[in-house]
Amino acid sequence: MFEIDYAESGEVVCSGRLDAAQSARAEAFLGRLETSHTLDFERLEYISSAGLAILLKTQKRLSGSGAAIKIINVNKHIYDIFRYSGFNAIFEIETL
Amino acid sequence: MGGQAFKRSIESVADIYRFSEDVMAAADIDESVRFPIHLAMEELFVNLVSYNPGAHRDILIDVQIANGGVVVTITDHDAAEFDVTRARPVDTGASLRERKPGGLGLHLIQHMVDTLEYDYRDGRSKIRFSKEPETHDV
Repeated sequence: MFEIDYAESGEVVCSGRLDAAQSARAEAFLGRLETSHTLDFERLEYISSAGLAILLKTQKRLSGSGAAIKIINVNKHIYDIFRYSGFNAIFEIETL
Repeated sequence: MGGQAFKRSIESVADIYRFSEDVMAAADIDESVRFPIHLAMEELFVNLVSYNPGAHRDILIDVQIANGGVVVTITDHDAAEFDVTRARPVDTGASLRERKPGGLGLHLIQHMVDTLEYDYRDGRSKIRFSKEPETHDV
């Protein structure tokens, strides 16, 4: 199960498993962002290349207006995926 | 331990996760193995489904535990030839503007599993991969 929603702080909280079957939900939510946002991955357990594609697509779109997404509380396994993908160079990332 | 057949649908990835997680949890497999195994299973299954939309037969997945590690075999009897072991370079140093979404799945698998084998004959594709626990010096 994958959930994505705003926290009271304004951060976007992601939880569960962002796999190929759930990527459309992530895309529908992130596609509405128009300004810089922080994504909290503390409760995100898993992400596959389908989720990475949505993150990259969002970052590219926001960069056109000088905005960006920052990702915080990334667990070790997801950070490994970011590192192998080179995403640690194109996203500001904070690990757990 | 054992195998199971899964419908050729992206929606099957949740069932595949539950099936393999049950097998690995029962054997107390370390998270450092479970995560890349789940990732490789999803990426390979999604590839088989996405790149051969005319196929109909279920895809078989077998998960075996061996020496604290996991060996997975994915068999597709309705497959197009596609060698998943072939190097698929991704310019991970490219700028944000140069990067294009997609194409990372096999790149990730090739970095994260210990072995990856592919065999194709007479329309049958068999992919086998394995992952052992990380070892730490004491």
